Amino acid sequence: MVSVATTHVQQGQGRFAGLVWTLIRTDFKTRYHGTIGGFVWALLKPLTMFLVLFAVFSYVFASEPQYKLDLIIGLFLYEFFQESTKAGLLSIRAKGYLLTKARFPSWIVVVTSASNAVITLTLFSLVLVTFLTLTGRAPGPAGVALFTVYQVLFFLIVAGFSLGASVLFMRYRDLNQVWEVVTHAGFFIAPIIYPIGILPERVHAYLYLWPPTPIILFSRSVLLDGRTPSALAHLLLVGETAIVLAVGALIYRARAPRVAEEL
Amino acid sequence: MRTPVVEVSGVSKCFTIPSVRRETVREHALDLFRRRPQERLSVLESVSFELRRGESLGLMGRNGSGKSTLLKIVSGIYPADTGRVLVRAAITPILELGVGWNPDLDAIDNIELLGTVMGMTLKELRSATAEILEFAELEKFAHMELRHYSSGMAARLAYAVAFRAVRDVLILDEIFAVGDAGFKERCQARYRDLHRAGHSMLLVSHEPRTIASFCDRALLLESGRIVCSGPADVVADRYLSLLTEDPPDLARPLAR
Repeated sequence: MVSVATTHVQQGQGRFAGLVWTLIRTDFKTRYHGTIGGFVWALLKPLTMFLVLFAVFSYVFASEPQYKLDLIIGLFLYEFFQESTKAGLLSIRAKGYLLTKARFPSWIVVVTSASNAVITLTLFSLVLVTFLTLTGRAPGPAGVALFTVYQVLFFLIVAGFSLGASVLFMRYRDLNQVWEVVTHAGFFIAPIIYPIGILPERVHAYLYLWPPTPIILFSRSVLLDGRTPSALAHLLLVGETAIVLAVGALIYRARAPRVAEEL
Repeated sequence: MRTPVVEVSGVSKCFTIPSVRRETVREHALDLFRRRPQERLSVLESVSFELRRGESLGLMGRNGSGKSTLLKIVSGIYPADTGRVLVRAAITPILELGVGWNPDLDAIDNIELLGTVMGMTLKELRSATAEILEFAELEKFAHMELRHYSSGMAARLAYAVAFRAVRDVLILDEIFAVGDAGFKERCQARYRDLHRAGHSMLLVSHEPRTIASFCDRALLLESGRIVCSGPADVVADRYLSLLTEDPPDLARPLAR
């Protein structure tokens, strides 16, 4: 009979709080390493991007004041999705040099890989809400709270994807290229540059299966239109998040113990 | 008798030989209906031993005998295919430390990364950073990015962090093969201090004198099996004779 049992004394997850902080801090530092302005540029990026897009779209879509804000929200949320899923997919490979050094939970490097994208999205959200407030379109506390919840759910979707994809990538080394194609195609599945209303209603349900779609539509709804999506819509979004997270966690759980061998 | 802090019983491990691995979605899709025979390389076969509390145990064996794989299994980095590994204390492994830094970060940030991976808290690390740099003799290069370090400097830094991070059991792969004579001496002194303080150690070395002088007991691994275990000096002698035998007589009983 084949039997396997490995029992290690528990290190206590609290000991790794320092690792989480260090990974976030050093990822941030590495990303802006050597750039003119360094950290300042990291902080200014969402602000400058917002202003540039707003100025350009104000000129191009002068007759559609709502459309430019819809577009900016869609672009920023999708940019977060693309950047964070790519970082998550590559995370175990990128941090492999740490995983072969000592025994620690590898999900930490997967989940923290989204930190740079989270920082950019958070700053963008602050810029957006400030802009709306200054232009007399303040979304209200409930709107801001719901927008925050959507971003948390979006992060959980990304975390679920990253957990599964990061361990699968160690076996399928072209998965990042496949994913790049999928996210490029997905840009047009999500209603970023077009209003969802131009498509027949029967396909809407399928579009909602692509996670950025409900997040983008719901965010626009609470921030710009002052409308709260229905309880059922929220329930479906939470369900979609739970499914992505559960599937990702299951794949991760099955493959993570052997991931160091594939580095 | 002292309690074992590490108990390994009947551990076996195989790897798929990389040349026949399918590594991309494309390769898997093309081979969907074609079964490709996969060659499996057995690295460890039914290995059993124990490391007692406060003991320094040596591990010898020729290249490819399975030493590094065994250390990674005991450290919890690789899982065993079969068998049982029971670890009753926190392990600090010092494995492949010459490589694997973030080249864009300076020494202080890299110390923080490696230290936290090894289970140190930020508070512990902040108070230990000066001592780590001093041990590695790299105080002047604390703010230099690792890309500008020589391989020797990087390895010295790694050993300095790991020696400081030790909590209970220390696992070392080719420990004294790094740095100049002065650094080796400091490593050896630190090793003896840790041993005296009651830490358990598992030490791999190709150098019989190192095993004989630093270990209480040793194991000899050959082709994934423990072929000899006993007092460190006897196992070191057996290792030397194994190197000169052609073909090695693995069945020869331990003399002593």
